[in-house]
Formats: sequence, C-alpha cells, structure tokens
Amino acid sequence: MSFLLACPFCGPRPVDEFACFGEVTKRPAASPTLRELTDYVYFRDNVAGVQREWWQHRTGCGEWFLADRDTRTNEVLAVSMPEPAREGKSA
Amino acid sequence: MSRAFLSPSRCEPGTITSPLRRALEGADPSAVRDLSLRGVVEIRGDLDRVGSAPREGLVRLSPRRGVVFTDDDPVDVAAELRARGVLAYDATGALAGIAISDERVVRRLTDLDLQRLPSAGPFARVTAIVRRDEAGWFEVFVQQELGHYVAEAVVDALVGLGSDPWRLTPPAPDPGSDPTGHTPSRGDA
Amino acid sequence: MRLEPQSRERLDRSRPVSFTFAGWKITGFQGDTLGSAAFAAGKRVFSRSFKYHRPRGLLCCAGHCPNCLMTVDGVPNVRVCTEPIREGAVVEGQNVRWSLDLDFMSVTDKIGGPFTPVGFYYRTFIRPRFLWPLYEKFLRSAGGLGRLDEHAGHSGRYDTEHRRARVLVVGGGQAGRAAALAAATMGPGVVLVDEDARHGDLRLEGVEVLAPARALGIWEGGLVPVDAGRLLYRFRAERIIVATGATEQPLVFPGNDLVGVMLPDGARRLVRDYSIKPGNRAVVLASDGAALEIADDLRDAGVAVPRVIDLRDMRPRQLAAQGRKGRVRRLVVDDDSIDCDLLVASGGSQPAYSLLAQAGARIEFDSDLGVFVPTELPPGVEAVGRVTGEGLGHVAPEPAYRGAGKCFVCVCEDVTTKDVKRAIAEGFDSIELSKRYTTVTMGPCQGKLCHLPSIRLHAQENRMYESAIGTTTARPPWAPVELGLLAGRELTPTRLTSIHWRHVEAGATIQWAGPWKRPYAYGDRPEDEVRAVHESLGVIDVSTLGKLLVEGPEAVALLERLYPNRFGDMKPGRIRYGVLTSDGGRIMDDGTIARLADDLYYVTTTSTGADAVTAWFEWWNAVWGYEAEIVNVTGAIAAVNLAGPRSRDALQRLTEADVSAEAFKYLDAQEIEVAGIPTLALRIGFVGELGYELHYPSSAGEFLWDRLVAEGARPFGLEPQRVLRLEKGHVIVGQDTDSESNLYSSGMSWLPKLEKDDFVGKYALEHFARREEKERLVGFTMEDDFLPAEGAQVVIEGRPAGRVTSARKSEAVGAIIGLGWVPADRSEDGTRIEIRIDRLLRGARVTHGAFFDPAGERMRS
Repeated sequence: MSFLLACPFCGPRPVDEFACFGEVTKRPAASPTLRELTDYVYFRDNVAGVQREWWQHRTGCGEWFLADRDTRTNEVLAVSMPEPAREGKSA
Repeated sequence: MSRAFLSPSRCEPGTITSPLRRALEGADPSAVRDLSLRGVVEIRGDLDRVGSAPREGLVRLSPRRGVVFTDDDPVDVAAELRARGVLAYDATGALAGIAISDERVVRRLTDLDLQRLPSAGPFARVTAIVRRDEAGWFEVFVQQELGHYVAEAVVDALVGLGSDPWRLTPPAPDPGSDPTGHTPSRGDA
Repeated sequence: MRLEPQSRERLDRSRPVSFTFAGWKITGFQGDTLGSAAFAAGKRVFSRSFKYHRPRGLLCCAGHCPNCLMTVDGVPNVRVCTEPIREGAVVEGQNVRWSLDLDFMSVTDKIGGPFTPVGFYYRTFIRPRFLWPLYEKFLRSAGGLGRLDEHAGHSGRYDTEHRRARVLVVGGGQAGRAAALAAATMGPGVVLVDEDARHGDLRLEGVEVLAPARALGIWEGGLVPVDAGRLLYRFRAERIIVATGATEQPLVFPGNDLVGVMLPDGARRLVRDYSIKPGNRAVVLASDGAALEIADDLRDAGVAVPRVIDLRDMRPRQLAAQGRKGRVRRLVVDDDSIDCDLLVASGGSQPAYSLLAQAGARIEFDSDLGVFVPTELPPGVEAVGRVTGEGLGHVAPEPAYRGAGKCFVCVCEDVTTKDVKRAIAEGFDSIELSKRYTTVTMGPCQGKLCHLPSIRLHAQENRMYESAIGTTTARPPWAPVELGLLAGRELTPTRLTSIHWRHVEAGATIQWAGPWKRPYAYGDRPEDEVRAVHESLGVIDVSTLGKLLVEGPEAVALLERLYPNRFGDMKPGRIRYGVLTSDGGRIMDDGTIARLADDLYYVTTTSTGADAVTAWFEWWNAVWGYEAEIVNVTGAIAAVNLAGPRSRDALQRLTEADVSAEAFKYLDAQEIEVAGIPTLALRIGFVGELGYELHYPSSAGEFLWDRLVAEGARPFGLEPQRVLRLEKGHVIVGQDTDSESNLYSSGMSWLPKLEKDDFVGKYALEHFARREEKERLVGFTMEDDFLPAEGAQVVIEGRPAGRVTSARKSEAVGAIIGLGWVPADRSEDGTRIEIRIDRLLRGARVTHGAFFDPAGERMRS
C-alpha cells in the first residue's frame, strides 16, 4: 500500500503517515441489549465498496478526520471533518 | 496555576541542558546545529484569533493546532496568545531541534515535499515539524525523547554522504559531486 | 579474439585491468565488463545450469539471463556480462563441483533426464517421510545458484533517498530520451533512469539522468523505487513514462542452451561495444527483421556466416543444435547439417511490459505482432517506444521445434518443453498453475526470456490462442535487488528520557521497555535497591509516563465520559487513580488524574500508552466535540519518583514550600519549586512507601536528578520497582491484565461509577456487573521457596485452570509472591492452589490485599 491520502490540512500524503480507525460505527443508545452491544463492539459491515472511515494524520498534523474510501481500489472519494455529536450518543 | 513546570525558562540559570548535547557534541557547525533550546509555544484553539497579528515562526498544522517558534521568553508569548483567546503551552522542553545544511541529508530521512515547508510529517520514522530558515537551512523539530536518536540518524546520514561531521580530517572538495548532487554510484560510500 | 580498435567501442585500450576468473588471470580494458573481458580471453563456460549442471555461456549480454551468474568477491549471483571490470576482482563459478569446465554434478544431465521430471523430488522423496531432511540437504546442495557466505557475508552501507519528479522516464533508449526531452520543455523536474551503466554519461538538456539505476516497480501513488546500487531512490512521480523497450526472446529448439547459442543483441554487444569476434563460423536463425541485421555485424567482425535462416519464410520440420562437451558444433535443419561454433537465434522481441502491468495496465495478445502488448494504462502512467509494440514486426516462430536433445523453455530453472507438456498432461493447463508446478518464469530472469515461449507452448498444447492463455501476474521487483538495499539503513526510533545518560554513567543495565530504553537495575542486586526504598530513600526515573494536559471549560465532562471514574467532585490539588476502558468494557490503560485547576487536569498514562491514549482521547473528542483541548506533554516533562521513609525530609531540604504531612497529604498535587526548578509534585504511592512524583521541565532532567542523588536517594530501576509494586498488589496494565480483562475480574469493582449517564465502556460494564466472572485476578503467596515463571500454569485438580502473570521474591514479605488468574470459585482469600514449576506442582495460597503494609500506613504516613 502506497496510495496517497489527502489530509484536509496537509494535502496528499503517503498512507503510511495515517492511522486508520476503521469504519464509522453507530454507538447504541443507553442500556443496549447484550446483542446490540456486541454488534456495536465487534461487528463491522466490511463493505466491498465505498465506506466512511475514521483516519488520523498521526505522522503529521495529528487531526482526526473522515474519509470515504473505496475498499476495492483504495480510491478516496472525499475527506471531511466530523460533525461533533456531544448530546446524542452516536459515534 | 502557572503551568511553570512546563517551562525551562523558569528554571534557575545553569540548570538546563539540550537533549542533543551528547549526540552533537563537537559536530561540525557548518553541517548541523542544535536548536533544542529555542523557544516553542504550542497553540490549541481557533488559530484565526492569532492570525490578526501574524507573528514570525507560526507554523499552522491545522485550523486548531499551531506551533510558534520564538526567540522571546515562551512564557510571555504563551500568556500573550492566551490573552487573544487560544490555549497556549510552553513546549520548549517538549521538542528537540536540529538544523541541517545539506538537503540530501534531509531527503535521506524524509519523503516530505521540501518545496512545501513548513509542514509536519515523518522524519527518520518519527513525527517531525520541518521548516526552512532564511539561509536555506532545514530545521527539524521532533519530540525531545526522540531527539538523540534523530540526531544520530542525521550524523550517520552525513557520514553516508561522505561528509565528516566531526571534522577529524581537513575539509576537501568532493570531486565526484555534480551541482545537482544526484549522481548515483555503485560505490556510494 | 579482440578486433582492431573501432570507433564505437567502449574500451579504453590504454588502461588494462586484471582480475581472476575461476582461477585464471585475465586482463581486459577499462570499459569492459567482467564477462566481456573473460570472453575476449577465450572463456566460454560461465556457469552450470540449475538442475542438470549443463555448461552455459553468454546468451543475452544484457543482464537478463542466468547464464553468467557468478560469485564476484564473495557476492553471489552477480551477472558478469554487465558488471563493470575492476582491478583485482575475484570471479568464481557457482553451483559447481570441481570446475566450470568439468563439473561432476553434470552426471544429472546424462542420467537424470528421464528421472527428473517436474515435481520429481517431491513425488519421489516423500517416502519414507523421516528421511526427507536428509534428502532435502542433498537436493539443496545439488541444485541452485550461488551461496552466501554466512560467516563473512559482505557488509556495506545502504541508504534510501526520497525524491520527487514531475516526470519520471524509465528507459534511456531512443523513445525514452525523446519523451524526456519533450517533457523538459514544459519545465523542470524531469528524471530519466536507465539500468545500463553506459548511459551514465548521457547528457540531455533539462533532464536529470540516473544510470545505472533500475526502476524496480510502480506502486500506487506514483511510487517508483529505483535501484542505484547502494542507494535506493524512492521516487514519487506525477507522471511516469515507461520506455523499457522490448526484450529479445530465445528460440525454443533442441540444444538451444548450448554454449555458443546467443541472442542477436548479445552477439551485437560483443562485436560493437567490446570489439570481440564472437566466433569463427556462425549461423543466424531469425524470427523477425531485426535479427537479420546481425549477420552484417558478424561479417564485419570477420565471422563467416554460411547460412542465415529466416523462420518467417521457412518452416523447418526439424531444427536442432548439436554439440560436443556442451558447446555448439552444428545446426541440423531438416536433412541439412551446417557446422558452426556460434548460433545466433532469436524468437522475436517481446515488449518489456512488466512495470506497466504492475501499475495496472491490461496486457493483451496482439495477434498481428505475435506478442503481448500493454493496453488501458492507468492514469499518470504512459508508455512510449517499443514497449507499446511500436516498431516490432510480426513474429511467428514455432512454439518449439522438433529434434533430438533437450529443448529448454526456461534456462533459469532448466525446464524443458517435455516438462511443460507433462505438466499440462497432468492437468496443470492454466498458465498460473503450470508456472508454480514447473517453476518456469520463476528463476533469475523472472520470465523476461521464458514467459512468452511458455505461453506459446501452452497455446499449442492446449490448442488455444495465446490470448486465451493470458499472462501471469507481474509483480515487483522487476529485477533482482539486494536485500540490504530494501532494508536500507537501520532506523529504530528510540526514546530516551532526559535523564537517560545519568543511568548509563551510573552503570545501569539498560533494557527496552516498549519504545523506551530504561534501566533494569543499577547493579547485580536489585534487592538492595528495594531495601533502600523500604528503609531509607530511593529515586526512579519515571519520565516515560505518558503525560497529558486536558484543559477547557468542558475538560471535566470529557474526562468523566472517557473514564469510569468521577472527577468533577475532586478539588483542585487532588489526585485520583483512573482506569480507561474500551466500549467493550476491557481495560486499556491506567494512570493518575490530578486536578490542577477547575478547568485543567494533568493525566498520566502507562509508559507505553502515551501515544495511544492521546489518540484515543482526541478521537473521542472528535466524536463528541467537547470544549476541551488535549495536549501531550510527555516529552516536555521529566518525572522522578522520590520514595522511601526519608523522602519527605529530603524534599523539604530542597524546597521552601511546606511539604509536611499536614500541608502535603497523600494524593495531593502541588506546584512547588524544588532546587530552583518549577515542579509539579504528586504525592502518590505506586511503590508502597511515602513518596513524591516530581514532574518538572525535561531540560532540567539531569540537574534535579543529580540533586536528589546528592541528597542520598539511591537510584532504582524497573526490576526493583516491579518487586515494590507487587508487594502492594498493584496491577500493571498489560502485564497482569490482557485484552480480555475487565474491572470486575481484575478486582477493581469499586472503581466504575455506573450511575453516571454515560462513559466509554459503561454499557459493557453494566453487563459485566450482572454476570458471574469465570476468572479473577488475585494475589498468591508460595508455600515454599519456588519462583514460578510469568505465564506458569495454575493447576486445579490436575487441570490447567489459570496462569501466573507476575511473581517475585520479596525480602520484605519473606516469601515468593505473585499475581495470577484463577477460577472464580478458587479466588477466596486463603484458598490453596497449585502452580506448575519445572513440571512439578507447588502449593500456594490466594492472598487478598497488599502483601506488604496492607493498611497502607507507610505510603500515607
């Protein structure tokens, strides 16, 4: 893997400067069942196609951001900054 | 709460030392220099609030993160920045700094685009802020605890390029080098 | 053998250079390669083949084929046909018993034929199974290439240089040069690389030429590593222009590997570049127009060329080379026999498309040309010249000509047409499968000279078109590369505390601790350091602790949502122990949280956790967006733990602040000045004695350390610290816990505040709180003086039922103590368990609470 990923602040950089935190998940509402909790903690959609992921420019500016990446081609269609969701417990 | 425990400048005179002291002791000052005691202030918050008075040495990492390199007392600089509505911390002790004159040394340790400095990125496999000063020197700042390692890597790269960072032998022009400095050779010492 | 000097030769005849070749002293000229000089001196056999040990001579003279692989100055597998001559070089044959000209192992060629089909070793030597290691040893030494001297090896400096190019041109032929010059008119940043050393003095206006330098592959993002010997250029290019040309393919006919059979370009290089007469009587076998021209070159060099056979006009039923002692003597064409000592044969030219295929181009068979050509190039990658098929004529030789003798498809791996046919008959009819079974294309040439012939053969045998057979996947590297070059310089990021060199000077044993180097102990007796802390005064460098400032109006809200603990009820100047859990309820990290002001917290993490915890905090805050900033100040701050009954007195002597028991209580945090250094002093007791963690500017690291040592503090290392914390039953996250551990099973059920609205891990902990834990982390005391290893089994009724995570001998407790996981029903205080030590079961008692000073009076004193 040597593709370039466009950090929203530093511009295109080799992907090994970044840490990928996986696909964006939905944190369940208060007091989930064990099943809902397990789904959230351990299960991922793992799509073959475009998925929204968390990335951090770890060896760079250090900021976290979202990237829409095609898991088949590693093409990154868009990067964006997250909308903070403090009250709602979704993540 | 003063946060003075972050500030080397609040220590009694004669108590502070550079993390690169041992790695660069006696090194050729025309090749490498130690910048570790240079004042550094880390900024968090809306950098636009700082922007009204663009001070020299501000490196914007993102709209919310920046670093100021300063020759003033970093404690005063941090206080001034806080007055403008951002959070600022004396990071002088947090970073080790090394100035490098030879671009090839830098290219052997980072794949950063040297036409687009300052920027933050990998240097010798650690995160660094790389700047260029008016004289064309490259200034590399890394976490203090990695400074000794990075300085050793820089000195070793100098040796690899046939330079003599300890000036043990009298300087002699390198006959093999061309102006671009890119000639590869199998016997690359 | 050397011709009269000619204008285009690359030799400097005024500068003779000598070296030894298989024990013979040979003198060539500056400008020669080792191979050309040896050939000029009459040497014809350069190697012995991989499997049959057949003698092999120069074939391509371009660094593609395996025929001139030799060991030069101890470095194996050097292609001497392209390796520049150098004074005093020692060139030796490889894969040879006795000598290149007389190899005892060549008996495999005489008798081995019928006995060594593909897969022979694995099918024949499979029984009896236990003898395989013996067989393998013999087979490995019988076949193969050069040998690396594992004792001496060769050492040298390798390095990597990162470069950028607007346009990177690969290949310095006509098309590549033209493309580079055209690109240079548009601006700077044009680089041309070519593997041929002869292009080293190429001058192109506005173009930087690197030669000899070989592009090894094309990766995503325009990444092209370029092998320049001891230096690897790692290019990032906006545009890549591939001009790698075409590679002449060998013709497949019986005897096609005999010494004296050459490719046209190989013969041409000997004549033109090195002014060598390559033979006396030559026959030319041409499959395309380009190969025909070689006849003129040979005649110019004084070689008799009695026959030139254009295989486009003539389709012989039989075509075979015959020889004596491995050297070509005659060519048999149908009923005709022509004597010759040089046979120049070509199967046409195949575009060298590998780099393009790696980059994602489609490779299709062009039936007009009879070769494979690249199509559908990926963005940013272009192809020019013969690599596109441009300028190549139609070639259509037989996939393999009939005749008597071994007929090689692949000279690298000694794969014959018979082997390939047999593999197809056995069902390996796909080119990818057949490749793996026969190893055709898997040798040193990596398919450069055998890929097309093997596809042609497959097409014929399967009665299919070449286009249906397809190609195998092209993978980097395009050419062999030294592992040292790929490894580059050793760069191991190493974290040193600002006090590190004091430990070294004091003679400490230094060990890796995660990314840090830390002192294990300062002498052979860590127990003395333990005693110093218990009885008097010790000091340990804990600068490695992760240190974060969390500041902002919502700092408390952020921390309360990150930790199961509460922090809002803490007064400024107080400290609390905190454990981070994941949303799965697992323990991630631990540390102390000091409230320095209403909106400012100072958080410490484990020594290895600083970066991960910082990223974790920042990630959650990217999710939530609290008005709080997280600043990692790990490196900015040196930290030492001054511990022992005398620590208060020692600290008081260095500060004007009141550090009496009343003014500075257990779990207090105070900003004080110590020996002129602004210090954040945290009164905590990880090691179980009265103690102060002093956090101060790292630039003053050595200074304050020196002052504390001067006050009588004995430095102690990690090992004594492990003993001290174990005596208190303090858990080390990551040592005593793992990714399955939660707060309830680890004996910290008091910590999580489930009544909070939300925190990371709350949902899981709610479930954990309701269920029975199967295992618990408990302390144990050995009944006898046996020390279990970390990881030792806890055995219940003869079955493994748990494990030891820490164990040490404690002088203060007077026993061997430890921590370990036991079944929940065996976790009551005083329960007897057994631990396996050196295969024997030894008794131990579960011990709750601290082993030493259980009431904690000492650290609170």
